[in-house]
Amino acid sequence: MARSGTPRKFPIMTLRTSFARLAAVLPLMLIAACGGSEQAPTTGGSGASDISETITLYTCVSDTTIQPVIEAFEDDNPGATIDLFRAPTADLNARVAGDVRSGGLQADVIWACDPLTMQDYVAQDLLGGWTPETEVAEELRTEDYVGVAVLYMVAVSAEGVTPPESWSDLTGDAYADGVVVPDPGFAASALGALGYFSQDPDFGIEYYQALKDNGAVQVSAPDDVTTGVAEGVYKAGITNANSAYAAQNAGSPIEIVWPEPGAIAIYGPAALAADAADSDTAKAFLTYIASEEGQTVIAEAGSYPALEGVSGPTIPEDASIVFPDWAALADQKDDLLADYQQIFGA
Amino acid sequence: MAGARYLRGATLGVVTVAAVSVVLTPLLVMARTVWIEGGADVADILTARGLSSAVKNTFLLAVAVTVLAVPLGTALALALRRPNLPGRAFWRVVILLPVLVPDFVLGYSWLRAYGRAGFTDDLLGVHWPGVQTPVGVTVVVVVNAVPLVYLITAVGLAARSEPAMERAARVSGGTALSVLRTITLPLLGPATATAAVLVFVLTLGTFAIPQVMGSPAGFSTITTRIYSNLARSSDPLAFTEAVTLALLLVVIAVLVVAPADALLGPRLRVTRVATTDSTSVAGSRAGGRWAATGIACYSVLAMGLPLLALVATAITRAVGLAPTPENWTLDNFLAVLNARNGEALGRSVMLAAVAASVLVVLGGLVAALERSRSGRGLATLVSLTLVLPGSTLALGLLLAYGRWLGGTLAIILLAYIAKLWAFAHRPISGALDRLPPDELHAARISGAAPLTAMRTVVLRPLAPALLAAWLVCFLTALHEVTMSSLLYGPGSETLAVVVLNSAELGQVGVTSALSVVITLVLLIPALGFWIAIRGLNRGKASLSPVPPVPEPAHVG
Repeated sequence: MARSGTPRKFPIMTLRTSFARLAAVLPLMLIAACGGSEQAPTTGGSGASDISETITLYTCVSDTTIQPVIEAFEDDNPGATIDLFRAPTADLNARVAGDVRSGGLQADVIWACDPLTMQDYVAQDLLGGWTPETEVAEELRTEDYVGVAVLYMVAVSAEGVTPPESWSDLTGDAYADGVVVPDPGFAASALGALGYFSQDPDFGIEYYQALKDNGAVQVSAPDDVTTGVAEGVYKAGITNANSAYAAQNAGSPIEIVWPEPGAIAIYGPAALAADAADSDTAKAFLTYIASEEGQTVIAEAGSYPALEGVSGPTIPEDASIVFPDWAALADQKDDLLADYQQIFGA
Repeated sequence: MAGARYLRGATLGVVTVAAVSVVLTPLLVMARTVWIEGGADVADILTARGLSSAVKNTFLLAVAVTVLAVPLGTALALALRRPNLPGRAFWRVVILLPVLVPDFVLGYSWLRAYGRAGFTDDLLGVHWPGVQTPVGVTVVVVVNAVPLVYLITAVGLAARSEPAMERAARVSGGTALSVLRTITLPLLGPATATAAVLVFVLTLGTFAIPQVMGSPAGFSTITTRIYSNLARSSDPLAFTEAVTLALLLVVIAVLVVAPADALLGPRLRVTRVATTDSTSVAGSRAGGRWAATGIACYSVLAMGLPLLALVATAITRAVGLAPTPENWTLDNFLAVLNARNGEALGRSVMLAAVAASVLVVLGGLVAALERSRSGRGLATLVSLTLVLPGSTLALGLLLAYGRWLGGTLAIILLAYIAKLWAFAHRPISGALDRLPPDELHAARISGAAPLTAMRTVVLRPLAPALLAAWLVCFLTALHEVTMSSLLYGPGSETLAVVVLNSAELGQVGVTSALSVVITLVLLIPALGFWIAIRGLNRGKASLSPVPPVPEPAHVG
């Protein structure tokens, strides 16, 4: 990866905390010394606007997407540096929870993988209050955050199995004892799908009961669904499009369909931390990732962009797309999950 | 003797400070968080739908794994003690292989080996439907725990066995079984007890295997519920629930471990003269062959096929393709072995080495202190952080120290120490009571300086235990990912974090390649250590005052 050449090593930290941290680290200097000995980068570069700070970004977006985005932004804004913390949603949320209870959120920008997480943070006044000017469609943003990438939940089917045309096909005899679904208690995207089905009167939570009655099985993550179907363990399953196309492009024997009434769109929103309201760099980064230029980088890195007109990974021409009602889902999610676990639990 | 008192005081001081810092403070901070934020909700959390079955599953899993893994690991250690066992050196290394593989990878490898469309299914048309049920989870957690039991028991044998007495019994006409029952096993008591406690606690807190393998059967444990809550912990209620459930695990651990430590520990200890010769009575050749066959079968089924399946996954271009040459690729390995990861690997090795070294010292100190009244309870205390799933322990440390150490290697080091203290302490504890205090006194009276006395009298017989403890901590820390991936910051990414950041946990190809690379990277130092341990044992055997007795001609 091209970033490997950048000489950014420990200790790099925001100025406000560097002394406290350094003092605490002193007894462990042995270790710190081995991590590198370079000085923190000088801040305050040239340029009219003040886009030259070091900001911290927390995200659950995969490295393959986030690294090119950071690289492009730093190239455009000499002096600006982005310290990245990337982790799966559960770890990311735990880190935020830990931060908030021990001195405050360390991130200046959070790029989450689902709107539910964002809604919670906005409700706690940790994030929001500002969004960049953007062309991103209204259903993918609020006044506190803006969608910058989208996950689509699609169906995959194994070699030799007729691909399903609609989500409801999965409850039919053709897929008896052969459907696999991701666990909404484990993966936020699966929770989004659960939310959509439960809200659509044509499905409801009964859809999951019908799947279960048809012999469906749950696994942890969407990737496990893709793997299981590719291996022929299951006939068909619900997974995210990125995982499915990545496997198919590598040669896995699977078919990918965007079933009726539509692939379920789960957008990844980004927002400004309340404590970073004055940071021009953080605002510039958000503006960049929601702009056509930033969206193009995101799309080229393999994620689905949020901005219409930017060409990204495969979307079939006739594909329809549906959106869960996220605001409603916020209040329903605990009960929904408990209902789901009644069905798919032991 | 004032010096001894100072030494003891200083030791107690160091251990207390460490235990308060890495164990008590995180736990108390977590309890305080629940108290402040959740007060009224705790009753609701503890009566939530499905929790009782998760608690039951967790407890039964821990009991089942302990009951199965302890005899199995002990049997392996006893079998591998026979000097006439064919291929003994080889099997000793093979038994430890699961320590080299992160537990979620072990889970995957079993699914790939025995599941539907897995290795045996492709090859022979048979698969094990039970692999994705609670039974499968139990079996794989057992396989994961056996090396620990083996290690503790082997070290216990090295330090505590009485080969002279065993030989005398055999020569006097005792059967192999009665020697085992009346001499060998009773002497192993402390090691067995310590292994059982460790396995129990470890299983209470195990997360990845139940999550990976138990999901299709809807098998939930306290740890899988904790993870599910952490996934939604942007909601303060879910966060409180995660922390409350983690503390529930700690309470369960206290309820079981504290009585076990208090009752078993002192009772199983015996004061004995020190002789060090770990080889047993040889036994018959046929017996050796049977034992070797048994070990070979276990190794092939529990590790050989799953690891082969893992390698096949790592070199295959895409999941679902046959692992045949036209589908082979090195891409997964290249993803692991790029320059950025090299830096992270160096950092991981260094961090694991520092953690293991600190842990051996701390583990040894606790083992020494718990022998006196004032030190009792310490053993239980330092086991409490082992029961916390990695993500929760990391969270506790972040709550306690995040404002000062957030994102540094220091906080990751603290996490490793907190998580693995019991790993270091228990093997040493199982071996320590062979040290007769008289010898230390004798050395001092004869004019040895304190350090010399320590080195020659205390450390030498303990060397196998110390090395084993170091090794298991080092290896476990090296592929640790749960805590590091929550705690890292710029410049403190470990290898597992970097690799798994570029490929989500579900991408089995890259994850398998990571395990294969770590296994290969480790086999070399592991072999070095094994040779060192063997050398130490040899050295002691040659010093042994008891000459080896020829095999008895008749064998019962």
